[in-house]
Amino acid sequence: MGGRAEFFGPVVREDDEPVFGARWEARTFGLMNVAGATGLSPNFEAMRDAMRRLPREVYLAGYYRRWLGGVENVLADQGHLAPGELDARVQRGDGAASPAPVPRDIAVRGELLRRSLRSRYPPAVAAKLLPKRFGTVRVTRHQPRFAVGDRIVVRAPRAAGHTRQPAYVTGRPGVVTARLGATLFPDALAVGRHEPPQHLYTVAFAGRDLFGDEAEPGTEVRIDLYESYLVPA
Amino acid sequence: MTDDPAVRVEALEALLVEKGLVDPALVDDVIAHYETNVGPLNGAKVVARAWAEPAFHDRLLADGTAAIAEMGYGGAEGHLLIAVENTPAVHNVVVCTLCSCYPWPVLGLPPRWYKSPEYRSRMVAQPRAVLAEMGLELADDVRVRVWDSSAEARYMVVPERPAGTEGLGLEELERLVTRDAMIGVARALAPDA
Repeated sequence: MGGRAEFFGPVVREDDEPVFGARWEARTFGLMNVAGATGLSPNFEAMRDAMRRLPREVYLAGYYRRWLGGVENVLADQGHLAPGELDARVQRGDGAASPAPVPRDIAVRGELLRRSLRSRYPPAVAAKLLPKRFGTVRVTRHQPRFAVGDRIVVRAPRAAGHTRQPAYVTGRPGVVTARLGATLFPDALAVGRHEPPQHLYTVAFAGRDLFGDEAEPGTEVRIDLYESYLVPA
Repeated sequence: MTDDPAVRVEALEALLVEKGLVDPALVDDVIAHYETNVGPLNGAKVVARAWAEPAFHDRLLADGTAAIAEMGYGGAEGHLLIAVENTPAVHNVVVCTLCSCYPWPVLGLPPRWYKSPEYRSRMVAQPRAVLAEMGLELADDVRVRVWDSSAEARYMVVPERPAGTEGLGLEELERLVTRDAMIGVARALAPDA
């Protein structure tokens, strides 16, 4: 949505906003996390891709409405929901469920999630285990193509399908300001395609290089971009 | 067919429970975790310590993930945490234009405005105007650096330590560090505020 004037408007802050605005938002958030942690959804990138594929009116109907649509899509992709099954259940309207036992592999992963729900962790766990479990940083033998200080241009056009390359930096010149190591490539991860990890860079863009004369003076945007998004300037 | 999300999510959960794919008690536990265990108080403790302890400040800016791990924080959406520091010359502010990426372990779940199309679209293009509307006027000679956190890393802002806080202890400092200051849309509170 970056820089898209059709969405511009006042940013409205609310006082004392609760963590969840409604019970359904909390259930949606909880279901999404449980689906991700127990393997019903393969990874978070697939969930993001599932949101991207939603009809525009659902995508724009609010954060948790979008998540709910994403969960529905990803569960359908994974064969956990048959086409029309949820709509039929909605129409039947009987909320009460008779629980079936959860198979052992899902239950074990669920228990791992339950144990991870703590306010604090032993420092060694927080430093080593949690980043491995939740992050996608990987070791790679590929040497990074760019160094800090290199001038780049973001490739154009963007790849079709799911990507973490925003439109507003596409085709724009920037400077590499940091190397963040290599991670699994989200564009591939989202669709279950196996690809080697890619180096990730922080790239700085001057406001005027992104927004021309409309840019405010003395502003810049820094954004993390994968190696395949970048070409030497 | 209804599109009421409350009805849809209830039906979805009922289906998954009947299929033996989801344990509803685990969904309860996840919700309770984000309502009670994590929130911006975690980040406030991190910032207060960085203000008070120069060695920790340096570790936080060098490797945010490792520094918050020292304090016991980490987990989903905090697996590659980068802390960026406001100075008299540079003001940092965080947005996610692609979705609503946010450092959950230190800030909790994002407020509604952070997830709004208005904030996500405008902050990269008109940061000074948005900040001014939100009550943060910046001098023309302060550079504005907008972090669009839409890949692996999550960003938190270390606000400038307010004047007149030299004698304060950690707990008093923590109370000055708001969620909005750690997103970069506000300054830390003044000690007499």
